[in-house]
Amino acid sequence: MNNEQFNNRDVSENGYYLVDIEDYPTDGWGKFKRVVKRTFRGELFVGLWVVLREMIRFDIHTVSYPQEKMPIGPRYRAVHEMKRLWESDAERCIGCGLCEKICISNCIRIDTKIDENSRKEVSEYSINLGRCIFCGYCAEVCPELAITHGGEYENASDQREHFLIYEDMLTPLDKMKAGTQLEFEGFGAITPHEDERVKKTPLAY
Amino acid sequence: MINFTIDGISVEAQKGETILTVARKNDIYIPTMCYISKTTPCASCRMCVVEAEGVEGFILSCNTPPTEGIEITTNTSALENERVNIMKLYDVNHPLECGVCDKSGECDLQNKTLEFGVSQQNFSARDQSRKIEDWGLINYDPSLCILCEKCVHVCNEVIGDDAIEVKFGGYSSTIIPKNNDTLDCTFCGECIAVCPVGALVSSDFKYSANAWELSRVPATCTHCSAGCSLEYETRHSGINGADSIYRVKNNYEFVNLCGAGRFGFDFNNQAEKDEAAFNKAVEAIKSAKAIRFSSMITNEEAHILELLREKLGLKLFNEDARKFQEFMTAYSSVSGKLHHSGSLDAIKQTDAAIIIGSRIATDNPAVRYALTTASKHNGAKIVYAHPMEDTLVQNIVTQFMKYEVGTEEGVIAVLADAILQDADLSEDERSFFDDLDLGYLYAESNIGDEELRDMMQSFKRAKNRVLILGNDLMAHERAVNIAKLAALIEKYSDFSLVVVPSEVNTIGVSLINTLDKDEDIIDVVGYNAKGNFAISCFEYANLSVPALNSQEGTFVNIDNRVLPTNVALSFDGYTLNDLAVACGISSENTIDYTKELNPNRGFKNIEFDNLENFLTPYGEDERGYLLDEVVCEADGTIEELDDLPEFNGTVIYHSNPVLQFNTYTNNSKQLEKDRTLRGSAQFAAAARISDGDTVEISFDGETVIRNFKLETDLKGTIALNPTFDSVVDASKYRFEKSKIVRVINE
Repeated sequence: MNNEQFNNRDVSENGYYLVDIEDYPTDGWGKFKRVVKRTFRGELFVGLWVVLREMIRFDIHTVSYPQEKMPIGPRYRAVHEMKRLWESDAERCIGCGLCEKICISNCIRIDTKIDENSRKEVSEYSINLGRCIFCGYCAEVCPELAITHGGEYENASDQREHFLIYEDMLTPLDKMKAGTQLEFEGFGAITPHEDERVKKTPLAY
Repeated sequence: MINFTIDGISVEAQKGETILTVARKNDIYIPTMCYISKTTPCASCRMCVVEAEGVEGFILSCNTPPTEGIEITTNTSALENERVNIMKLYDVNHPLECGVCDKSGECDLQNKTLEFGVSQQNFSARDQSRKIEDWGLINYDPSLCILCEKCVHVCNEVIGDDAIEVKFGGYSSTIIPKNNDTLDCTFCGECIAVCPVGALVSSDFKYSANAWELSRVPATCTHCSAGCSLEYETRHSGINGADSIYRVKNNYEFVNLCGAGRFGFDFNNQAEKDEAAFNKAVEAIKSAKAIRFSSMITNEEAHILELLREKLGLKLFNEDARKFQEFMTAYSSVSGKLHHSGSLDAIKQTDAAIIIGSRIATDNPAVRYALTTASKHNGAKIVYAHPMEDTLVQNIVTQFMKYEVGTEEGVIAVLADAILQDADLSEDERSFFDDLDLGYLYAESNIGDEELRDMMQSFKRAKNRVLILGNDLMAHERAVNIAKLAALIEKYSDFSLVVVPSEVNTIGVSLINTLDKDEDIIDVVGYNAKGNFAISCFEYANLSVPALNSQEGTFVNIDNRVLPTNVALSFDGYTLNDLAVACGISSENTIDYTKELNPNRGFKNIEFDNLENFLTPYGEDERGYLLDEVVCEADGTIEELDDLPEFNGTVIYHSNPVLQFNTYTNNSKQLEKDRTLRGSAQFAAAARISDGDTVEISFDGETVIRNFKLETDLKGTIALNPTFDSVVDASKYRFEKSKIVRVINE
């Protein structure tokens, strides 16, 4: 499909026609007439008839949520996840702070410190899901593929504080041990066959 | 003047300039890795290579002066190839930890690697295991180091600590502490500033934030009268925390910063609007007889205090600024102008300097750095006159002139006599010198005729001479006459004069306020100073007001430059301006007063928001403005010298340890707080105390308990007593006859 037909805004072509919409009533009498007309024209029964017809046909397209759920695409951008390294199970996040910097709704906060092994450690990390617009910039900018979007879109809770701390996002160790951590294929993911394109550094030994 | 061309553009060079400096002045780009404007060229990176017509091979533009008519090319494919190869060599085994490295985002290696498009490597070397060194406030990671030697050059040529050196060993070369296992220096941290990679970093800052997360606030350092330019870098702390300062940076290409400025930034305070305390403060001011304040204050605040004084008929107490004011008034009465003529830049350019009455390395590190620069770059002869030697300036001082404590008036008189021997003095002035009893002065001050002759001999060829006067002269009983004698030297010789004020805005206060002599009365409101009602940014405050890194305003520094400073961290409580408004002096903001500062004292009517605060890429200072020259009446006459006093027995000198200046630095987390009385073995023997003893020091009606620390660097019978912890009044004459008694601990 190309975009040309959409870019052509010449209304005299492509079978465009003006929808006939009557003017809104301005005075009280006109408004009263509209109410009466809408009430007694039987539009309600048109809708009810569609429901009845589809019920009898047994050709139903809705799923019975929450018992049933629709499958979602791998690039779906729901609640964030923090991935671990396959090699060591260590956290991928290096605390560079780029996600915090790029976040356009200013909902990520990160704090880092030097740990006892003289390595950089993420000491605090939070995403305010109430502010997050799920734009995916954080996942795209992450140099380590650490923060990604997951498929978890159900995030109702009775406490605002439940949204969202580092530990909740991090892949649990048992899941990691079982090898079931899913890689995200959306924004920022490695392109296929990346390994073959990397040039090797010569080694002296 | 030498005319030549770079890339076909005709340029001209002054004598002493190199091809690189000329190129930079003309906006022609030559890449460098190791070049730093304030030192002599390190010439270690070889990135600055250029080609010259008729010269075979490449030449280093950083240390080659141009010759007349030479044609320089800066970008041929051969040069490009050379530079790319240098970058590749720099990148050999450089750890790929940019994601966590503190320098990432502002790293020269990162920038240049991308600039030259080094995407693959064909050099290699066997990697080595290298340990990260912990040098206290500074951390050194040898595997990140690219051996550009900037740190070594700055430490040696500009700072004067000479504490680090290169350990040569081919690929395994590293930077090591000189003659020591660990770093033993004044911890100015300038090596951190100049390091182009993440090899030298602040241990406190390490891994706590990244360059791209920090907001920069250009400001002015508040710790001493140099008023160095710096940038506070702020960011939120923790995930819910308010902003805090993470580190301080400076424009290391042209200016310096000492460790107090670099590491002592966390003196900010916070308060809510406490209305009850505010009302009490207003009452206290209205009913007060005087306001006592410190010189760590902006010009605008000083102006508000002056307005309060006029409106409420108060007295203003500030001994430090009053003494400076008195000194400068006496100076003006002879010199005929309001401000001293010298500046830090003049000290940098000097080739002959005399410094009297200050332990300058700790009183004002910027002056010390300027003197070091002068010594290393111009071979300046530096005469250091003081009763105590100072090991920190030992390597730059060419002549130490030891005088007896208290004889400053005699010292300046004999100096003036020596310097002004052939000067065209007025009759009265000539007769003053003719009447001097030189024999008595030489004997009492302990400065010999020969020493003075040596000095004059060594100064003979000097072109730019500077006389630097320290706080001992201003706080001296005979300060007025000393100032007049100093003014005579400035007036009739080619010496320029620098008077070193003790606090950040001592000059500003002395120009703005009408000060009274401090009296020990009740009903005194203290503004960042002692008083019955304390309005202050310190812990003991009855009403909290913002510290200087939460304030905007201006200072006047040692260069007589009005320097703007900005708010790094917000403050929610009340300010002095709110109090003034409540007392009926109406102005919306404190900085509205910037343009109202008194033009008769040299201030210009410029709005605060129109003041710049930066250095240009060519190193020109565009911070604030210089005070206008003000002419005053020269009607002062020099008095006859008083008898020189004698200080016998155990004498202490009020002098802070390195990196300590005031309550701000005392509140700082990173700076070492050495509150001991520091003395030599000779002093310990005279006072019959030994290292580690708790001693009771009594002087001039005061008693202080301190621990005694024996310092091998010190000599003589004078011990150093710190003032930064506000136990003693820092504005007094700094030498003190004292009685020292050992306290027996039970």
